[in-house]
Amino acid sequence: MKSENPLFDIRLNVPLEQFELDIEYTGNERVFGVFGVSGSGKTTLLESLAGLRPVGEGVVRFSGDTWLDSSGGTFMPASSRRVGYVPQDHLLFPHRDVRGNLEMGKRRAIENGVDFGDVFENVVAVLDLGALLDRRITELSGGERQRVALGRALCSGPQLLLLDEPLSSLDAPLRRKILPFLIRVRDAFDLPMVVVSHNPIELQTLCDEILVLRDGRVVATGIPGEVFTREDVFDTAKEQGFENVFSGVIVESDERCATMELMDVESPTRIRIPRTTTKVGESLVASIASDDVLIGTEKPKGLSARNCLAARIEKTESAGTRMLVMARVADSAPLIVVEVTHDAIEELSLQPGLSVFLLFKTSSVSVFSE
Amino acid sequence: MPTIYETVFSTLLWAAMASVVVAIPGLALAYLLARRSFWGKSVLSTVTTLPLVLPPTAVGYLMLRIFASDGLVGDRLLGIDLDILLSWKAVVIACSVMSFPLFVRTARVAFEEVNPRLEAMGRSLGFGAWRTFATITLPLASRGLVVATLLSFARALGEFGASVIVAGNIPGRTQTLSSAIYSAQQSGNDAIANRLLIVALLVGFVMVYATERLSQSKHATGGSGR
Repeated sequence: MKSENPLFDIRLNVPLEQFELDIEYTGNERVFGVFGVSGSGKTTLLESLAGLRPVGEGVVRFSGDTWLDSSGGTFMPASSRRVGYVPQDHLLFPHRDVRGNLEMGKRRAIENGVDFGDVFENVVAVLDLGALLDRRITELSGGERQRVALGRALCSGPQLLLLDEPLSSLDAPLRRKILPFLIRVRDAFDLPMVVVSHNPIELQTLCDEILVLRDGRVVATGIPGEVFTREDVFDTAKEQGFENVFSGVIVESDERCATMELMDVESPTRIRIPRTTTKVGESLVASIASDDVLIGTEKPKGLSARNCLAARIEKTESAGTRMLVMARVADSAPLIVVEVTHDAIEELSLQPGLSVFLLFKTSSVSVFSE
Repeated sequence: MPTIYETVFSTLLWAAMASVVVAIPGLALAYLLARRSFWGKSVLSTVTTLPLVLPPTAVGYLMLRIFASDGLVGDRLLGIDLDILLSWKAVVIACSVMSFPLFVRTARVAFEEVNPRLEAMGRSLGFGAWRTFATITLPLASRGLVVATLLSFARALGEFGASVIVAGNIPGRTQTLSSAIYSAQQSGNDAIANRLLIVALLVGFVMVYATERLSQSKHATGGSGR
């Protein structure tokens, strides 16, 4: 990778029916996400990056290579860009079985010096595709199709992975099962990724940086925890299911409940979560909605809620019609966002620096596990 | 007099040759019409369809003008005599011209039913245009293309009006199943006409039944619908 060049250098202008997609983004984060409601131009952006959309002006450079430079007349065709594109509707080849689909990009992978056998084995293991290899595409469930589409992209020796709404075609329980696969893909393959989604949880979990798109324009850029709590973004994020996301390791588990310990937090912080199939010692992601968390200024007694975390308020912010209190359980812990009313802020004198307790029920916690 | 078997055999052979002659340009034209937009596309599509709606005798007469000594591909302009008229070559050419529109129209629909986004997916996996066509478009359209071939073969088998004008109805040389039935009926030879009729019914039934079965069984085209 040429270090003097940014990983992504995108200046795009694509006329669409309703509006114009107008994007400028330069960044070096390996996984960047694009958040926006449907019809905000996300898929257009991905297709432009993949080279599947010939209309449009601007510049696209990836890791120093020019894919598009309309002023210089450069347009690298899709077949030369080496992207692993995972579209929303999967687009698996119905005339090939699962193995055949995974092998569709074999030639390109080999041409680019990839040990195909190795990658294939790795992909099958990471995405748990072993039992599906000889199945026909029509026999697969939605979640299985998603995994095969991901696998096909990874097996084709890509230098960039493009994921279009990776979970939107799945229902809620399935989404919780597939998200861990995406995390494994991110961690197991050292590939730059662009993830496009209207779901804040996916983006918070996967991305290092997020770009918020509205009617074809970038309205905010930043790290996930901060972008979604911005005054002009939070309402939309909340409508689309924004929740506080925690990554942790299971330390206790039985048939009724489990306990996870937050990752990368200096003072051990544990959260009681509902029953999960994830085993002790394994990592998982959990989330809690910002309006399912209560704030107490003193440690409460005699409450049924199993989670009571000591935290310090970092800031309070008004976001649309709501007030947001953002607190951390430790300096290195992620921000936890709590929605409260203006009255509560005044009555409890909630302000930055104040020590508080964050309370929530075990059953309010959503667990994402395979 | 040739036997019925000889007549049936040469009819099947000429129809098969016509199907091969039609397939290559037909595939290219059908793909072009299904996937590309270009100037004059509707005119091209209309001209291709013409033999389907014109009286076969009109098409035959037109071909006669073209292949005649002073025609576009006659010996006077070419300098050599291709010796087409009143030969088996004329039968094959007449059958090809008459079944071409049926092949192109059916094959075009088969290509149109292939989801173009699957082809785009192929390109993003590194496929060039030819490889995308060979590994994605062609296999996904294959069922429709087989139907197109069967239909054009069946059309060629029954060809009469055009071929009788350019090739005549010469027993043992250019007589086909349909012209043999015509001759038998005209000369009052009911026994032969009846036997030829049964053969025609059988062959026709098998062809159409096969296309029916192929069209009915689930298409694996990847669905152009969303």
